[in-house]
Amino acid sequence: MRTRVLSILAYTGAALMLVVAACVPFKLMGIFSNGVAHAGLHIDAKFTGGTIARTIERSGYKIVVYQLVEPRLLDRSEPFVQLVFEPADSLPRRVSQEIDLDGDGQPDVRVSFNLPSDPNAPMRGDVTALNGKYVSLTHVGGESFSRMVVRTGNQIVVRVPLNKEWARR
Amino acid sequence: MASRSSVLQRPAAFRSPAYRSVARSVLLTLPIALWSLLMFTRSFRHAGRNLHIGAVLVIFFMTALFFLMMRTGETYRWRRIFFVALGFLFPVGFIAALIAERGTMSIPISRMVSGDTPYCPMVTPFILLPAAFGRTIIFPGSIVSSAGHPHAIAEMIGLWFAFTLVLGKAWCSYACFFGGIEEGFAAFPKRRRLHRFVTKYGEILRLIPWAILVFVVLVSAAIFEPVYCMWLCPFKTVTEFPAVRNLETAIQFGVFVTLFVGLVVVLPLLTKKRTQCGFFCPFGAFQSLFNKINLFEIRINREKCVDCTLCQTTCPTVALSKDSIHEGKTLLNCMKCGACVDVCKKDAAVWHLKGTPVAVKPERARLLFLYGAWALATMFGGSILAGSLAAIIGFLPWR
Repeated sequence: MRTRVLSILAYTGAALMLVVAACVPFKLMGIFSNGVAHAGLHIDAKFTGGTIARTIERSGYKIVVYQLVEPRLLDRSEPFVQLVFEPADSLPRRVSQEIDLDGDGQPDVRVSFNLPSDPNAPMRGDVTALNGKYVSLTHVGGESFSRMVVRTGNQIVVRVPLNKEWARR
Repeated sequence: MASRSSVLQRPAAFRSPAYRSVARSVLLTLPIALWSLLMFTRSFRHAGRNLHIGAVLVIFFMTALFFLMMRTGETYRWRRIFFVALGFLFPVGFIAALIAERGTMSIPISRMVSGDTPYCPMVTPFILLPAAFGRTIIFPGSIVSSAGHPHAIAEMIGLWFAFTLVLGKAWCSYACFFGGIEEGFAAFPKRRRLHRFVTKYGEILRLIPWAILVFVVLVSAAIFEPVYCMWLCPFKTVTEFPAVRNLETAIQFGVFVTLFVGLVVVLPLLTKKRTQCGFFCPFGAFQSLFNKINLFEIRINREKCVDCTLCQTTCPTVALSKDSIHEGKTLLNCMKCGACVDVCKKDAAVWHLKGTPVAVKPERARLLFLYGAWALATMFGGSILAGSLAAIIGFLPWR
């Protein structure tokens, strides 16, 4: 009797698996994907740049300043602040801007770069620290997640590392 | 099935007791053919001409292989044809897409920052801890698919979850788009070398993927990086890899190439085993856990088994040991490729549906498993094959 019940359960399960397999491309994968999409997950700030702190409007373009991203646990990366210049199409050929990163009303860094006419051309830029809190970068491209001046689509992404001694405070 | 085999005049090559007539095989193949047609018609509705041609070729290919499985009663060799084709054609389509889009196989940091890295299901176990405890995904991709971000994380995890429910560890022999490369190399040599070594140290070799899994999961969670993708994945060599921009990325690339040549090319050629899958892949170890909840398995019928250990010698991932054969079971890392069942001269290795008596109607269990597995293989692997064929057609001078 037990064997018979187990067999019936097993075949029912196998039939259900077949239904699942048949439904995956039509409905089921979408349901599972939506479940993951709505699970409240987010990509790590090291990759996305974190959350927006404020936006600085300029004529024809804006500079989005992000909050400080700090490494967690044994993360090897440096703490950094991300800046996004957008839209890249509206930027002048040469950009050199003093920017207040921490919102204290005083400029912290000067970001300078030339915008290549080819959107796919590799970019290089300079970051000059105006105080001891940030690190100056010379002729930087896509070196690491915390040091970069790169073009992504219609944006120029700049990441400025925080001075390690300052970060320890 | 077994009694019918004596009635049918079986060709010598087809020694399986499940050998069938053409008409019966066609009937059994019909559901897969219709399902494939329906699936591809829906998926490639708005696709271009090349993709349509690729899809039609794939439907014929997959249906023909399933027909041969039904006709001959053998699973392994027909599945292997699909799997090797998938393994070798996936990089073709993938690299062609990368070159067309960005002109290089390397992924620059700007692409990672903008979430353009296609998500590979193999990353799933390594992102679990930060996702579970911090709701953070430590992968430079996008959560939701969009025009600029195909193969997003939610989509690929959804796909992996659905496949894992149906296949368990059989993901590694019906869905993995990398395993076919080494299975292809393992098929080349006639002789097995290093056989004694693999048999003698099989117990230890089988534990390595588990050790790597634990190490990678913990280190990934600690340093907030997918360590396996960044440092250990051999298949980066034939897909995409972080752009070499300093010493660290140069070492990374060196590690990828070394692991690929060693584990995916040289060792399979020497041992006739899937050495990367069996002795290295942490994702494979992770998938093994789902064999516990999967309904299908391979069992050894002790009444028929003569302990010749041919199944153990043949198994591509060393998922059988003398002890497990004595217990009538395969080990947890069995990927249900069917090699042991096909090779067993005494028909002692059988497909089995958990909960049913062992060796009673094994062909029914095989059929139930194969319908699900082949449907998903056609959906996932078939779509990849169609895309790769479309890319190849695109390269043809007379297209």
